[in-house]
Amino acid sequence: MKHAAIFFHYISQYMKTRLTYRVDMLMEIMSDLLFQAVNLIFILVVFGHTQLLSGWSRDEIIFIYGFFLVPFAIFGAFFNIWDFNERYIVKGEMDRILTRPVHSLFQIILERMELESLFGMITGLAVMIYAGSRLDLSISWYDPFVFLIMVIGGAFVYAGIFVLLASISFWSDSRTSIIPMMYNIGNYGRYPVDIYNKVIRFILTWILPFAFVGVYPSAYFLGREDWYGYAFLTPVVGFAFFALSVFVWNIGVTKYRGAGN
Amino acid sequence: MNNDHVIHVENLRKDFKSHSSRPGLKGAFRDLFNRNYSIISAVKDLSFDVKQGEMVGYIGENGAGKSTSIKMLTGILTPTNGEVMVNGMNPHKEREKFVRSIGVVFGQRSQLWWDIAVQESFKLLKKVYNVSDEDYDRHMNHVIESLDIGPLLDKPVRKLSLGQRMRCELAAALLHNPPLLFLDEPTIGLDVLVKLKIRNFLKEMNEKYKTTILLTTHDLTDIEALCDRVIMLDEGQIIYDGALKKLRSNWGEGKQIEFQFAEQQTKETLSPLLDELDSEWSEGKRKNVWVANVVNDENVISEVIGRVVAAHRITDIKIHEVSTEEIIRNIYEEGVIHGQIH
Amino acid sequence: MAKYIEMIRIRFLMMLAYRTNYYSGILIYSINIGAYYFLWSAIYGDKGEIEGLSVVQMTTYIAVAWMARAFYFNNIDREIAQEIKEGKVAVEFIRPYHYLTMKTMQGLGEGIFRLGFFSVPGMVIVSLIFPISFSATLSTWLFFMVSIIFSFIVNTQINLLTGVLTFFFFNNDGLIRAKRVVIDLFSGLLLPISFYPGWAQNFMDFLPFQAISYIPSMIFTDGFTQPEIWDALMFQVVWALLLIIPIQLLWVAAKKQLIVQGG
Repeated sequence: MKHAAIFFHYISQYMKTRLTYRVDMLMEIMSDLLFQAVNLIFILVVFGHTQLLSGWSRDEIIFIYGFFLVPFAIFGAFFNIWDFNERYIVKGEMDRILTRPVHSLFQIILERMELESLFGMITGLAVMIYAGSRLDLSISWYDPFVFLIMVIGGAFVYAGIFVLLASISFWSDSRTSIIPMMYNIGNYGRYPVDIYNKVIRFILTWILPFAFVGVYPSAYFLGREDWYGYAFLTPVVGFAFFALSVFVWNIGVTKYRGAGN
Repeated sequence: MNNDHVIHVENLRKDFKSHSSRPGLKGAFRDLFNRNYSIISAVKDLSFDVKQGEMVGYIGENGAGKSTSIKMLTGILTPTNGEVMVNGMNPHKEREKFVRSIGVVFGQRSQLWWDIAVQESFKLLKKVYNVSDEDYDRHMNHVIESLDIGPLLDKPVRKLSLGQRMRCELAAALLHNPPLLFLDEPTIGLDVLVKLKIRNFLKEMNEKYKTTILLTTHDLTDIEALCDRVIMLDEGQIIYDGALKKLRSNWGEGKQIEFQFAEQQTKETLSPLLDELDSEWSEGKRKNVWVANVVNDENVISEVIGRVVAAHRITDIKIHEVSTEEIIRNIYEEGVIHGQIH
Repeated sequence: MAKYIEMIRIRFLMMLAYRTNYYSGILIYSINIGAYYFLWSAIYGDKGEIEGLSVVQMTTYIAVAWMARAFYFNNIDREIAQEIKEGKVAVEFIRPYHYLTMKTMQGLGEGIFRLGFFSVPGMVIVSLIFPISFSATLSTWLFFMVSIIFSFIVNTQINLLTGVLTFFFFNNDGLIRAKRVVIDLFSGLLLPISFYPGWAQNFMDFLPFQAISYIPSMIFTDGFTQPEIWDALMFQVVWALLLIIPIQLLWVAAKKQLIVQGG
């Protein structure tokens, strides 16, 4: 109850500050749209030269992309703490966080949220509807609920990975360039993982499980029955990864060295 | 541990592992594959207790271990070794429960949200600390009034001056009326009037709620105005823990008699006057001013003044106590404690 | 000049200090190139070549594009924006060097570090795992080297432009992000420019972005004929010179703005 009250208070504050800088907000939404367009263009250009990607059609790949955008938008809005090291560790803001009686990760998520990213859900749904209608997909009454669970699972996968990466900062405060590259690796989960060799497939499934934010859950909606096992693992992997990341974070907090040491 | 001890610290220690860089390009290459690590103890073997209602000055030079130990007391850092009990809790183990019982002000770091109005920050903190409306009104109306921040409440923090911001920070730290308050350099960079206001406020809180206050500062006048007790740190260890008065009487045992002579004097002409009195001359800051450093004894003081006045014409005379700052500088320079009380 | 060389050296040392960065970087780049390799293999399927590039050439293209990126890529736009926001730039104005040149030199220090410790060993590792063809002709290597120097120049110039624009916006993050996305797409990092439909290629000929990645990567993979190489290098040189104009104009305007507003 208390957490919800704090959450909504933060959101209302966020709205107030954002509405005072409307141009910024617009720029951010525009750059998000551009980013989404770039990936779509990539797919379109590639399929200008080929009909099938190891048995998957253009529209199926586009559908996967559309699905991916929805959990990614949720991740971007709440868990995108790529600058945690710089803002909280190097500048010592973590000190302030730790003197408040609310879980430190929860506070940071609230301070860093970027609700503009949620517009990506709209883009994602639009892309899915476009591809889905061309593919003549049938929808059952329970599919929206499955979709919701898959999306939450996928968002937690992303959140888990980025929280784990942010936790590294508790042990080593040197700058790393891992996080920007992670966005690239995240992209590969959007393609049917059977195109990769075993190592990369394994990485994308179990180490950096980005495949659970793209191709696996989408396989369910595309009716690819041989992938259903992985598809239904999506929420499990999401929760497991997120739980692991919170666990590591909590250990990390005890290793926090403070600023200026 | 004793129950009326708000803070109980025993053999507290904090080590940091740090790496040293080898010099030059070649050294940097070697660092890439193999690093030199060393363990640095920021705090070694700290023990002390603080009772409820005490106002304790926590002093030491930069790097003496002040902020590291404060951060362990507030649950920010995990100790390497030793025992910390604050308000009956282990700060880092029960962090979220524990921090409800303390208030913290870091002078160099804002607790408030930069872009939003002060009262919005207060509202948010009220939710964070679960303070009821009645408690908030009863307590905060008084705090806001005493600190005179009423007119600032609807301004965003970034538009406040340093003094205004500091008063708001203090109010924010007291929002949940904690029995224990940690203040890290609360008056840094503030002008005298704001300092006085803050000091008076802290005294009032201490009297009204018996709030225990632990204060670190570079400004010793803060400590003189507020604290009966000081804890002095050097190289991660306590070198003095006791009453400020006692520190003064043990260290500031001497007096300084400042003479303004009518004519020019030299050490040679003046030295004979202090024969057998165990005193010494030092040159004053202005022209023809000399200072006799004497022990605090009425006979000696009278004798020195008598001899000087008999021998030379003077235009002015002042008697000073040695300032706390000087005492502390002496302690750090000599590193030895005369009146150590443990 | 000595002070700029010192700047390069300091940045170089700073980069060396971050070794977690170093180890993780090589691993991540390898995974990245690996994933692209398989993606492209799947796209090629059993086709021998697309737009004149074979699968091996395509793999080489991707590998060299990413490794060259390690050299030309830098965050000086973000750094400039940060320094402007924190009001540090006003101080930089009174220092005895040209602020933008100094930033460029910092970028170069970073670039040289990554080229030597990252791209070259990374390329060796990647070539052990994936089929990559290295050109046997010396001239290809020479042209490639000239070409990536211009990649650095053009990319840095674009970064300076976006960075300096912060003077005129309250918050420049959106623009910086947008720039990054545009460069990834239009520079040829993700896709060779020749893969785009004809009208898009014509359009991109009027933009500087392909000077950053497409040109050096195509030279490296022997995807260009000799006359095409000369044309491409001319394209880079012309853009490197042209971009000086808007940078200077913006810089002068920014200085004025700074004097008027006092930061």
